[in-house]
Amino acid sequence: MQTLYAGLAEIFEIDTSEVGPDTVLADHNWDSLAIVSTIALVDEICSELLDGAALGECVTVSDIVALIPQARAA
Amino acid sequence: MGTSGKIVAIAHHLPKQVLSNDDLAALYPAWPADKILEKTGIQNRHIAAPDETAVNLAAAAAQALFAQGRVGPGDIDYLLFCTQTPDHVLPTSACILQKRLGLRTDIGALDFNLGCSGFVYGLSLAQALIASGQARRVLLLTADTYSKLIHPMDRGVRSLFGDGAAATLIEAVETETPALGPFVLGTDGEGAENLIVPAGGFRQPRTEATAVVEADASGNLRSAEHLYMNGAAIMAFTLGAVPAAVDQLLARAGASLDDFDAVVLHQASALILDRLRRKLAIPEDKFVVALRDWGNTVSSTIPLALEPLVRDGRARRVLLVGFGVGYSWAAAQILIGEP
Repeated sequence: MQTLYAGLAEIFEIDTSEVGPDTVLADHNWDSLAIVSTIALVDEICSELLDGAALGECVTVSDIVALIPQARAA
Repeated sequence: MGTSGKIVAIAHHLPKQVLSNDDLAALYPAWPADKILEKTGIQNRHIAAPDETAVNLAAAAAQALFAQGRVGPGDIDYLLFCTQTPDHVLPTSACILQKRLGLRTDIGALDFNLGCSGFVYGLSLAQALIASGQARRVLLLTADTYSKLIHPMDRGVRSLFGDGAAATLIEAVETETPALGPFVLGTDGEGAENLIVPAGGFRQPRTEATAVVEADASGNLRSAEHLYMNGAAIMAFTLGAVPAAVDQLLARAGASLDDFDAVVLHQASALILDRLRRKLAIPEDKFVVALRDWGNTVSSTIPLALEPLVRDGRARRVLLVGFGVGYSWAAAQILIGEP
């Protein structure tokens, strides 16, 4: 999880310590570029290709994490 | 021994007007110039003038190729023109180019409509024409003016795409090992709606309604007459299709990545290139990156990246992959330079 948080911190341009399950995406410029970057990040860490539309509906970091097992099951 | 096509020369042409990251940052306050460079790997894009079309750019690239002195217009016996921004619905832009370039009239000339996979498809077509004895010298022109399809306030695509053209000369050679191929080709129309100009063709003709500009969730503006790209879907497609195509090509070529001197992927963006390079475990010194000064020029990114390698004449085994709009993708092994 720390690798994911570190990657998200890079995308949000904040310190890793500021990223946790409750981090609100809208506070960190959660736009199309951030979503594309997150797809690349999760593919790199978990070998999972997440759905962009589902990512677009995520509100917090925990919502992103919740998508990862779904991607594995699909 | 058999007859194969071989790339022997490449030239390019870019429009004069430049759109820099500073220009873009002035329009999009949330995107500083240094962030645009970091995310896209692009510093400048070249933008065609209002009266400058893909045919103009392609003609200039072909003239630059002829100026290299290897061949003249009379030596070409087949013209392939890849564009998605032709001058007219009809006639075929390649016919206009035949006249403009002073090519012979006893040659074949055709357009084909593909985007970022188009150059590799063009090589596949050229190889088929040459190996079957239908042509000895194929001129493959690639040119696009996506800027004419992009809303100025759609930062997602405007920061990526630049206009440009390349001219590639493919000549017949007698050889033990084909200098073009094997190829891996792929198509999946399921992704058609993810990179599209919805209106302006016959399915959805232009009307007052199609000209209405709306903002998307990220604040980008566009109408149905503009280019739309679902970046997330394109990223997911790319990360799935490109590594699979590379695996298939390596199996078909009986080779490993170590056997290649260089890898040239479609120069989509730094983000995509970096992720693909690491996913495919390609060493940085073999991985060609060439988009900083002109951006994603669609069908011309691969020849633009390949041009310096062809010019220096060193023998190289190169792996190419084009991928994008369609979806359409193609991978190829090519041999360039003199052994």
